[in-house]
Amino acid sequence: MPHSPNRLVLLAISLLISAATCFAQSTTGTVTMSATVSKFVEINSGGAVTLTGNSGGGVTTDGVANSPLAVSINLGELGPSNSNSFVSALVPLRLRSNAAYVLSMSATVTSSGTTSNRISAADVGFGLGTISRTGTGVNTSGTDTNATSGDPTLAANGSVNGTSGRYEFTAVRSNLSAFSSATTALSGPFIMNAVPRSNVNGLTVPAFFAVKPQFFENGTTTISVTFTVTAP
Amino acid sequence: MRLRLCTFSFLTLLIFLAAAPTTFAQALDISSGGQPTITGAVNGSVTGTANVTGDLAVTINFGEVSPLNTNGVVKVIVPIALRSNQPYQVSVSVSGMNNANTQALQTSDVGFGVQNLRLLGGAGQICNQSTHLIRSPFDNDPATAATVGSNGRVSYASSLGSLSGSTVILSGPELSKNNSSKRQQSDGWIFDAIFVLTPQFFAPGVSSATLIFNISAGPNVPC
Repeated sequence: MPHSPNRLVLLAISLLISAATCFAQSTTGTVTMSATVSKFVEINSGGAVTLTGNSGGGVTTDGVANSPLAVSINLGELGPSNSNSFVSALVPLRLRSNAAYVLSMSATVTSSGTTSNRISAADVGFGLGTISRTGTGVNTSGTDTNATSGDPTLAANGSVNGTSGRYEFTAVRSNLSAFSSATTALSGPFIMNAVPRSNVNGLTVPAFFAVKPQFFENGTTTISVTFTVTAP
Repeated sequence: MRLRLCTFSFLTLLIFLAAAPTTFAQALDISSGGQPTITGAVNGSVTGTANVTGDLAVTINFGEVSPLNTNGVVKVIVPIALRSNQPYQVSVSVSGMNNANTQALQTSDVGFGVQNLRLLGGAGQICNQSTHLIRSPFDNDPATAATVGSNGRVSYASSLGSLSGSTVILSGPELSKNNSSKRQQSDGWIFDAIFVLTPQFFAPGVSSATLIFNISAGPNVPC
């Protein structure tokens, strides 16, 4: 009796399915996994603000270590009635990153005065102090580049202009006029080793702000500074 | 006549193929033990079949594990089913994740433990003379057994770094009552393979690894 081709095909398919099903068992299995680590940077307060040389005024909103940086300072009297050499505010900053970072700053200074004798951005000294990379989990071998001249009250960073008589912060990036737009103040390699975010350590650097009391035009002045850290 | 000979030969081959698994019935089998789950992930996922008769083929994407992920840990549970009609052992080997930068993700940063060994249905074999043994140090949930080391980095009681070559993680007596050559819905045991990754200040990048689970004849223990 001749075989029907259709029946043969069906039988073959059936046997193939049977074979495939029975082969379903296996002695091995695989688990593949992947994970992504993106660049991460953050800036927070490095602690309480220190205000010195002030007459009146005070720290309105203080810094709290490892909390968002949102400090408000009243520098008090900046006219000649303040007999101190400088009114200085030291604001500690804390930076953390898993990649090379750049800290930039921009500042605006607005005064109610209308003449050239009003307080301007150039009259507000600025600089970053000693950079500290300490504590468990911190990359202590990193070398940072401070683009400012440090404490603006240092004698090397300013002097009285012999012609105008006005005190001027003359060193590189030593006053806020150098930061009318976002300008690099500090940069360096990655800050944190592979540790959880709950680790509270990081890079700490003090930001100095200083004003020399002078015969400024009377009025009120508002100084607003924004720090931004990025991982280029 | 020639066509008939060919047809006969072909059918004989197919019959042999169909019968082969029965004739050489696999006494050892590993498969999916159910739907894998993931928690604490940001842009992460896990894929695998919920069908316990499906192959073990799981893909885990832990997602973002930098501090951008503010969850405490990313935890993945992969149920794995085992079947055997003889004593068995399960071994695991890992490849990949060979980052030269020590601050990048390393195998020791992925916690790995075995928990919750349980019957897969009524045809799973319960042996009274031997117990199933989760080999040291893998008998833990890495999410709860994590600690912070002196260098500030999270470490686990066991991790993928605990695997050296093909490492036995589990062994015991036979797992199945029946002697079927086919996977069934209720004829073995299941355990949970747990993977944990704590988001940290790792060096940026993408890391991957592949684990191969293998079941083979184990130490000859009575049932």
